[in-house]
Amino acid sequence: MSLFHKLKMEIIFWIARRQPTCRELAPWMSESLDRKLPLRKRLTLRIHFWICVWCHRYQQQLQFLQQAYRQEASLCLEETPASTATDESMRLSSEARQRIKRALSRKS
Amino acid sequence: MLSQTQQVIASDNGPEAWVDLHGDALFRYALLRLRDRSAAEEVVQETFLAALNSYEKFSGHSSESTWLIGILKHKITDHFRRTSRFMPLVQDERDEISSANDRVFFTTGEWVDHWHNETGPCDWNATPETALVQTEFRQRLRSCLSALPERLAAAFALREIEGLSSEEVCKVLEITSTNLWVMLHRARAQLRLCIEMHWFRQAENMTKGASGKA
Repeated sequence: MSLFHKLKMEIIFWIARRQPTCRELAPWMSESLDRKLPLRKRLTLRIHFWICVWCHRYQQQLQFLQQAYRQEASLCLEETPASTATDESMRLSSEARQRIKRALSRKS
Repeated sequence: MLSQTQQVIASDNGPEAWVDLHGDALFRYALLRLRDRSAAEEVVQETFLAALNSYEKFSGHSSESTWLIGILKHKITDHFRRTSRFMPLVQDERDEISSANDRVFFTTGEWVDHWHNETGPCDWNATPETALVQTEFRQRLRSCLSALPERLAAAFALREIEGLSSEEVCKVLEITSTNLWVMLHRARAQLRLCIEMHWFRQAENMTKGASGKA
């Protein structure tokens, strides 16, 4: 291990020891999806992402999931009967369908 | 989206035709949010009944399906509002993360509460668009959502899937914004772990960029 590398690691550990832990920072990353964090927290996170690849991935993955669920929601709206024809779990059962129709005809 | 002709037919044939034309789409919409088939069937039924009552008020500006989805959204938030008081409080509400998530951090030593390099987040090497092309991934999204405890799922569904603002979610669930942020954090942490473990860390789903160990 070169001296340069050892020095770099020491700096990283020095920073890490003075920051909140990854576990304490995870709620901050979640909160940043719902509102703008105060400047201090944003800076702490930026520095932390520089020294911690896992937390950086965690933040990106939270954003990934936000997008994925939103797109899944609009995808299931767009689906035509044809594409879901074979997937019974995504359709009203015939009993439910009959039950609803009966409830409607009682009312109308 | 239905054609104009189909919509006219629906109205002429009476509300039973609505069920055939719109029932499945409404059901899918509700199922993603409520995760439970019978709850989804109930709100769909309530939607059709409410639509029947207010059909004269339907001006025809939007399509029938848009109008029905609008009613369904209200029925879904009503459902969460009614049932939230009966959802069991998640046990370790004081702790930040549930026990499954605990094991991914160092639990002792100098680096306690830091990501363990073997169990820390791996490189997913994907975008939502590329992942959603695969039906199995979409099923995985749904099954991980179903695994969430009820209260966390309600908060997540209202905020991330229905897209309500934080203030609106707090009103529906009758919680403070601090409660909400804790719940969203826990929901997101659990979903992330579930999807990473059951999708991205599975050998056949790892692409050449991923560096996590299976």
